[in-house]
Amino acid sequence: MSRARDVLERLVGASGAERAVISVAALALSIVVGGLIVFVSGLGAACEAGANYHIAIPLPGSFEILLFDGRLSMFGFQSCYDPINVYEKLFIGAIGGLPWESGWQPTNFSMEVFLQRATLLLFTGLSVAVAFRAGLFNIGTQGQMVWGALTSAVAVLFVADFVPAGVAGTVILLPLALFAGAVAGGIWGAIPGALKAYADANEVITTIMLNFVAYYATTLLVREFFQDPQSTGGTQTRMVPVNSLLPSIPLGFQESRFSILALVLALVLAAVVYYVLWGTSFGFDVRTSGLQPEAATYAGVDAERTIVRSMTISGALGGIAGALWVLLANGRFLTGQEVPSLGFDGITVSVLAGNNPIGVVFGSVLFGVLKSGGNTLNFQTDVPPELVNVLSGLIILFVAMPEFFRLIGKYLGVGDEPAPAAATTDGGEEDG
Amino acid sequence: MDRTGLRRRATGVTVALLAIVSIWGILQPESAAGELFWTATETGTIESSLRLAVPIALTAIGGLYAEKSGIINIGLEGLLIISAFVSVLVTDLLGPGQSTGIPPVVTFDLGGSTYTIDPGLQLLIPNIWVGLAGGVVASMLLAFLFGVICIRYQADQIIAGLAVWLIALGLAPFAAKVVYGQPSTAQVGTFDNWTIPVLSEIPVAGEILFDASPMVIIMLVSVPVAWYGLNRTSFGYWVRASGENPKALDTVGVNVDRVRYAAVLISGFFSGIGGTALSLGAVGSFSGAGQTMVDGRGFIAIAAYLFGNYNPFGAFAASYLFSGLQALQIRLQGIAPTEVFLMLPYLVVVIVLVLVGRTRLPEAAGEHYESGED
Repeated sequence: MSRARDVLERLVGASGAERAVISVAALALSIVVGGLIVFVSGLGAACEAGANYHIAIPLPGSFEILLFDGRLSMFGFQSCYDPINVYEKLFIGAIGGLPWESGWQPTNFSMEVFLQRATLLLFTGLSVAVAFRAGLFNIGTQGQMVWGALTSAVAVLFVADFVPAGVAGTVILLPLALFAGAVAGGIWGAIPGALKAYADANEVITTIMLNFVAYYATTLLVREFFQDPQSTGGTQTRMVPVNSLLPSIPLGFQESRFSILALVLALVLAAVVYYVLWGTSFGFDVRTSGLQPEAATYAGVDAERTIVRSMTISGALGGIAGALWVLLANGRFLTGQEVPSLGFDGITVSVLAGNNPIGVVFGSVLFGVLKSGGNTLNFQTDVPPELVNVLSGLIILFVAMPEFFRLIGKYLGVGDEPAPAAATTDGGEEDG
Repeated sequence: MDRTGLRRRATGVTVALLAIVSIWGILQPESAAGELFWTATETGTIESSLRLAVPIALTAIGGLYAEKSGIINIGLEGLLIISAFVSVLVTDLLGPGQSTGIPPVVTFDLGGSTYTIDPGLQLLIPNIWVGLAGGVVASMLLAFLFGVICIRYQADQIIAGLAVWLIALGLAPFAAKVVYGQPSTAQVGTFDNWTIPVLSEIPVAGEILFDASPMVIIMLVSVPVAWYGLNRTSFGYWVRASGENPKALDTVGVNVDRVRYAAVLISGFFSGIGGTALSLGAVGSFSGAGQTMVDGRGFIAIAAYLFGNYNPFGAFAASYLFSGLQALQIRLQGIAPTEVFLMLPYLVVVIVLVLVGRTRLPEAAGEHYESGED
């Protein structure tokens, strides 16, 4: 028994540095390939004159080292899009400009969007990561978010009439909203978990199917029971009362968009998840069943129960993301297309982070930037913001093929190291 | 209970349910079951069920080849998305409703004078069929990329498949926005029905089989062909061996990687037709909002071939079951809220997966095979 544990601990002890190198390389390569896609799609777009490429190294003041200035053409076609300009808009626009420029406010609209998306993605990323660690693919974070969002909105609307106004109400409503979201998401996550554990139903497919079910079921519920009578268009609930929103202290972000408290809560949860996975015996069970299911069973882990529990926790994290989506982003539950993308981006965040809760923090910041920058692209360029989704897919693709980078490394003579840890089905390597 | 027992139970439960509804429906035509039965057996419902089954069944056939060879292609959804989009795009760019001549008339300038090479005899191909070819090529290219990642670069197959899905999910709406300024494309029309003179006069069967969309006919032909290819040819034998016992196949001198590439390309080929059937076969345009018009059919196809136990006929039957639910939804609106019918196919897929359990996967599915040669 202890011998089995020894072997597992050693398996678990592989290096995380390689993982980080792979992630950074995958990110860089995705950005390059994404740039090519932008350039090529610019060939097909209609514009009056091709994009002017201004490539320069900026120096302090208004000086710069000019590398290239002019138009590029390919087979006689000029591209309408300048990838470098696009990335500039994407990354710098995401935080509303460069911080040292005059007039930049830390609480500007883009910053609010960036921080809000980063916070939500931290939850969805953690949700996916927990399941991944147990060797499970939770593609259903989206559905868990949707249920979490609806339940928390309905719970708050129901209870709001019975609680005092003002801060006293906040103290009751806020925890209630998060709790309701966690419970609903947890249940929706536990279902595919139980189906996997006891009926061996492939969780990739069941979670995706349940996403669709969640979408239609919540739409139906809202339309039949919780529809906002004043709504003219969309299927949505009433607005939750202002005192259920996260207070905007200590910085002056707008309550309906972002609150530092939400970010703090997310970071605390990341630490908690990290502790649970690496500091408790339950976490050990989860990780070993992810790495070596047979060995874990041999070492006395109840495989079925671990699967259900991991999926429940994963779903609960997704449900909290849903609750915060109501409280931070919309102030109400509404059916739409935005939730899904947050759930799916959680997959990319987690894969990029090597399914490590601490890595997820960095991954969610990056994707918060991409999400907020996508808005900027929409407003300021002709390049569709869907570019962000393409990048997201490319990142997963490249992270999944470490062998590719190993061969490149070999080709460049960097050295013939063993294949670094890939993002794998079995929960991946450790770096704790 | 072993896997075969589970499958038998799953099939048994399904058949029993269908039988109960049918008998009850025949005995009591006024009841809900009666309405369900009589609607489901109407010629119109069967026709639309078959049409809706095409994307799922063809994708399932392709997917089962890949999985039989040892490569689990969870990215089928992505192949459907990309081919549904590209086929419409190609048709639209060439001019919907027109034809393209092959070989083309070539005109070029040389030293101030213009020359034209006219082949004289041209084969005129309707652009919608060129669009089909475009969709199939796009899907096969993406499948090839997936194959390279999994076989050459030994990526985890599930993650690589998810990547293929997410890339297509981003790329198709992205490209549609570049070309059309919105995530959906223009309307380019659909395939005309193929009507076989005399035979289409036969009541019911004639209407269904001999006056049908070419996509339906392609599907009905593909099912037995795929079954024959998998079970009666040496290539099919290699595919099965490559998934069950790659080492043995390697020993007898067949290149396992090459067989797997071929199987993955086959999954791309069939998904390409399936995606085209979805856009050009039914609606005449591509819509890229949300989960795109594909809406999870790639994953439903996986469930279909698992339920069908990797048998093309079984996969077709399962696809028909799922698409029949969709067809009923269109016909039975009003009985219950639309959403109930919309979510029904997805729920049934979950139930089917529970009943089937994890099908006995090919022994070496999901594993990279390292030939001892290099």
